[in-house]
Amino acid sequence: MHLDWLADVRSSDHPLDLEAAGRDLWPRETLRFWQGVRATRPVRVFWPADEDQVVAVLREASRQRVAVVPYGAGSGVCGGARGHTGAIVLDTKALDGIGPLDEDRRTVDVQAGVLGEHLEEWLNARGYTLGHSPSSIWCSTVGGWAAARSAGQFSSRYGVFEDMVLQLRAATPGRGLVVVGEDGAAPREWMRMLLGSEGTLGVITGVRLRVWPLPEARWLRGYKFPDIASAIRAMRHLMQEELWPSVVRLYDPVDTRIGGRTKPHDEAEDDARESEAFYVEWLRAVDKIPAVRRRALSLPLALPGVVNEVFGRMAEGCLLVVGWEGAAEVVQALARAGETILVEADGEDLGSEPGDRWFASRHDVSYKLMPIFERGGFADTMEVACRWSLLEPLYHAVRRAIGKTAVVMAHMSHVYPEGGSIYFSFAGRGSEAIYDRTWEAALQTCLEVGATVTHHHGVGTLKSRAASAEVGPAVAGWRALKRRLDPEAVLNPGRLYVDVPARDPGAPPALSPEDGLARAPADASLEDREAVTGAEVRWPFERLPAPPRWQRLPWQSGWIEVEGTVEGQGCRLGRGPRSAAGPDLRGWLVERSEIRPLATFSVVHGGARWMGEAEVESPWCIARELLLADLRPAALYVRNGRLRVGFRGAAAEALGALASARVPGGLAPIEWEPAPLPAGPLKACDIDDAGVVAVTLHGALARGEGA
Amino acid sequence: MNTCALCPRLCRPACPVATGSQREAAVPANIARVLVDWDRGGASPELAAQAVTLCTDCGACKDWCHLDIPLPEVLRECRAELLPEPLVEPLRPSEGEGRCLVVEADGRPVAEALSRRLGEPVRRWFTADQLGVAAVDHPSWPHRARELRAAVGTAEIVVTVDGGVARALEAAEVPFQWLHEVLPELAQGHGSCQTGGERPLACCGAGGPLRHHHPEDARRVGKAWLARADGQAVLDARCRNHLLACGGLEAADPLDRLLAEES
Repeated sequence: MHLDWLADVRSSDHPLDLEAAGRDLWPRETLRFWQGVRATRPVRVFWPADEDQVVAVLREASRQRVAVVPYGAGSGVCGGARGHTGAIVLDTKALDGIGPLDEDRRTVDVQAGVLGEHLEEWLNARGYTLGHSPSSIWCSTVGGWAAARSAGQFSSRYGVFEDMVLQLRAATPGRGLVVVGEDGAAPREWMRMLLGSEGTLGVITGVRLRVWPLPEARWLRGYKFPDIASAIRAMRHLMQEELWPSVVRLYDPVDTRIGGRTKPHDEAEDDARESEAFYVEWLRAVDKIPAVRRRALSLPLALPGVVNEVFGRMAEGCLLVVGWEGAAEVVQALARAGETILVEADGEDLGSEPGDRWFASRHDVSYKLMPIFERGGFADTMEVACRWSLLEPLYHAVRRAIGKTAVVMAHMSHVYPEGGSIYFSFAGRGSEAIYDRTWEAALQTCLEVGATVTHHHGVGTLKSRAASAEVGPAVAGWRALKRRLDPEAVLNPGRLYVDVPARDPGAPPALSPEDGLARAPADASLEDREAVTGAEVRWPFERLPAPPRWQRLPWQSGWIEVEGTVEGQGCRLGRGPRSAAGPDLRGWLVERSEIRPLATFSVVHGGARWMGEAEVESPWCIARELLLADLRPAALYVRNGRLRVGFRGAAAEALGALASARVPGGLAPIEWEPAPLPAGPLKACDIDDAGVVAVTLHGALARGEGA
Repeated sequence: MNTCALCPRLCRPACPVATGSQREAAVPANIARVLVDWDRGGASPELAAQAVTLCTDCGACKDWCHLDIPLPEVLRECRAELLPEPLVEPLRPSEGEGRCLVVEADGRPVAEALSRRLGEPVRRWFTADQLGVAAVDHPSWPHRARELRAAVGTAEIVVTVDGGVARALEAAEVPFQWLHEVLPELAQGHGSCQTGGERPLACCGAGGPLRHHHPEDARRVGKAWLARADGQAVLDARCRNHLLACGGLEAADPLDRLLAEES
């Protein structure tokens, strides 16, 4: 690449920089490194210091048709951020600014190259948290979180990463800098296209994020369930009862057994020490025999089928760690309701120890993988998602599919009212062929069951074929925007989506009442949707989809699954309550479908309700104060000048009492009466304006054009 | 080393060089990868030397590591093997008399100020190369250590404000005190890299081989240090000179203020 135009941008072609930028954390690459296979090297690494420099590098690369691989901290585990031969790497780490923090609006501006841990430290020092804590927080950047649609350990309360993004800035070769959201000039639908685009549409340079006050209280507890089915049922009730726990982590029987997770601390420590001692002794013995060491086999990895069988027989129940955090009185109300649900669902209360233990060691899992590689094995993880009724079938199907080539266990740690994700951890003998075969079987099984192939790790190279099969003809929506933003197709080529044979998704698996979903034409009015459901629409937006994230409350959802046809091919998106299989193309599919598209949306079957009403001055101001007080009402609106606040689910009455105490004169209980939620277009306005139709955590909204 | 090379770069946020230089190559796990490759006969010794000098030897990675892997020690050994003999100046004689000996590593008249505070004569011992701390891991060090002990002689109290000097004294088994232990008013500002400050500000890049082998990175790390510091740290000679050269050290540190008051 000729560099005359880029002399002002810091760059390097030092072998150390090229070597380091040639690998991300894809375990297949780690395996290859350990086996002595050299990584491919890019031709140069650039560290642009500002957005203008990012645009300059992209434009020049586009002019010269040189591939550009965006790189944050390289923590991707799917091979999406590896600099390759002939490409340049655009390292975002010089974009390292944090702030300003807007304490009134509870937002913070952050540049893309900021390391997650550094952002959280910065916020904590000022009394705030992002609420985003992926296990990669020490080794991933904010830009990477946005590009690959990250999800953190507290997602059921604070949301996944796209729930936190109010504004996104991205540099593109075709359109220069684009700013989406809040006051940005770019089309708002580009937000859901850029999030999850994994550097193929633009290089994310910065975001404005939602922040929360540091939690006043934290409540964590462990519950033991007899089997995975009863535990899944309990998790589903917690979410569908709108209790918004901060932590919900279910360990499958194997993980529970191996981790000694349901035992008192001392006993678990003893067990762990014993297992460790055995393992260490075993490894020492193996190391003494050079021939064996060279092949570097350890027994469990050589005989995965037997080990899975033995572990399966040894298992006795599974552990669910549940927690709430936030304002103390809210935590108390939610946890009390949650405890009742868990006990009624056959959960045996193990006290606070399992939860405290998890919290203290919540990032330690990453330290446990190195010895497996060191001894000649591989270890990897797969995070997939689906609706509630498919979770257990998916769990068993994947275990069966990969159990012959890898030792496998699982936990479930991201749940929604509409479903959840399963995180499989597996380890096998260190051969690329076995690695590839294991993955192929696992991904194929997910597609067959009807799950999304990625919940939060993204696609990269590893899942590009499976994600392309999942997204099907809707890939055309991504291609269309790519032609506009990256006309020479220089951005991260070969990653995310690739050409795969057309594959009919078939009829969607039938909805089950436990899914908490109903299906209707995507353009159906609220009345029509209500008519077909026979249940209450959980978030009654006037039409689907819901307004963009920055114009609604973070816990409200719009459409989930969307079906249609493109060029005669069937297409089904949104196979999980959340998917990271690239950008969100559901809006594009609805717009382009040749048949009337169908959408599923969340509904509520029965359950407790509480609603109160008050005549107050500045009702929308009071409404926002309730949101800032950490209350998450199911209904919050003003009718005839009177504020109405409603809660659903097991904690409805307790939360109603807390809300009432915060409203001057209190809330008088009334009959439950939900109101349609405005679907837009909406614009930001002063909270005292007469035209306010909704409030979010960040201010008020009126009807009108613009963000 | 193998574990570090396979680690998903978990100590990255603690490393001042990786943070300040923004270079992926400076992440401790990536340094370890190059060294593993060198050990296997892949990477050249020149490349391995380039990698191993990206470390400032601040120890932040070891403090962060949940497996307590002593990477700084391993890197030190590698440096001793990969780098040429360190340049060490002959020890200079001390000046004056007194039971207290102050080792000065820059132009600040610490001995003079301490003498006024204590109301007794204080010996001044100036060193331009921090008593030859660069040779601590070198085979020639035992000889240097003997010289150093002889030069200290019968001094009852040896005082320094410099982390490099402190490390040399420690390696030569000479008991010493930090200046802030003798002058408690400095304790508030006690916190530069080598004197045990907060880890995110662990090193300005001058304390290890970084400054000599990667001056541009050392400058960036220095700037990052300044951006995060609050001007309250007592800086030792190398840090102070380095930060001055980085062009952003505006506020005098607490020792400078004390010396100004003294004068």
